[in-house]
Amino acid sequence: MSCVRKSLKTPDALRSRQAEGCFVLPSEVTEEALAMKGSISPEEVLRLPRITENYLCAPDANVYEIDFTRFKIRDLETGTILFEIAKPPPTDSNSDLEDEPDHENEEVDPNAGRFVRYQFTPQFLKLKTVGATVEFTIGSKAVNNFRMIERHFFRDKLLKSFDFEFGFCIPNSKNTCEHIYEFPTLSPDLVREMIEHPFETRSDSFYFVDDRLIMHNKADYSYDGGI
Amino acid sequence: MTILKKMKQKEKEMRLLILGLDNAGKTTILKRFNGEEVNTISPTLGFNIKTLEHRGYKLNFWDVGGQKSLRSFWRNYFESTDGLIWVVDSADKRRLEDCCRELHSLLAEEMLAGATLLVFANKQDLPGALTAEEIKDVMQLETIKTHHWRIIS
Repeated sequence: MSCVRKSLKTPDALRSRQAEGCFVLPSEVTEEALAMKGSISPEEVLRLPRITENYLCAPDANVYEIDFTRFKIRDLETGTILFEIAKPPPTDSNSDLEDEPDHENEEVDPNAGRFVRYQFTPQFLKLKTVGATVEFTIGSKAVNNFRMIERHFFRDKLLKSFDFEFGFCIPNSKNTCEHIYEFPTLSPDLVREMIEHPFETRSDSFYFVDDRLIMHNKADYSYDGGI
Repeated sequence: MTILKKMKQKEKEMRLLILGLDNAGKTTILKRFNGEEVNTISPTLGFNIKTLEHRGYKLNFWDVGGQKSLRSFWRNYFESTDGLIWVVDSADKRRLEDCCRELHSLLAEEMLAGATLLVFANKQDLPGALTAEEIKDVMQLETIKTHHWRIIS
């Protein structure tokens, strides 16, 4: 598989692209350099050598009112749901403030709703096939060329990178997307390190409309549950 | 997964579009196929995507809502489609004509010209359901010359 980026006008534009195994990148770019820019492209975030420390866009960059309402992870071998968090439908009174009611934080955190913490047991790292679902709603404007890039790191090591083009999203729609994938093979040493160092496994999820970054979500992961 | 293995070597990715009238059972079929629970499925007001990755091959299913108000958006999902799965509620005789018309208008779409058609005669367990053979006749599948097609139930 080559690392050559295809023009978005090719029929392949609607297909997903996977950067996994694609380590010969043109040149690295720093988070600091990107943070200074007015508009950030998919190609630029793919050149980041490590997880970001901060969010690369403000919450209000999401002018399309794209709202993530559910995250779910299941084990395909047993059908077990390993993790699920859903946002309740908005109520009339305080729809905008109550992003993630499960969070213990009382004060309103502007980044609530763009961070998820996953806590797993070591067994998680032994799974073979995993399905990761996101559910999202779209505001009253149609969205064109919606693309997601998600990159998982343990410290500075890229474990997995997803690159998927949703393309068009219907106004006022509710959509789901499940990626079913074989869990990357991790060396026993790496597995041990990941278990011993909770929340040093982290991911950045970047969302683009027309090649401009409009949302940036983060997650971190621990695998020492039950130890 | 066997479908993935059968895919051509050079084509490492395949896009399958699941369409049909509302309440035909598109989402149920998609979930069943992927080993998910199907007891609580509500009408799709957008799309449901499943991407399966296996040994470097990728299979992408796109299930787009079938309500009348959503059908005008279907065309946004035609591009690069390798296979069209048309789901029919075999017991919904009242709307079979509708169903037939929608399918044939899809087949006239240029962007779907290269796609293979699979008609899925769903809900065979319901009383009064038409058999796949009957659906084939009512929907005039034999008249389709532009696409490879097959019907299953």
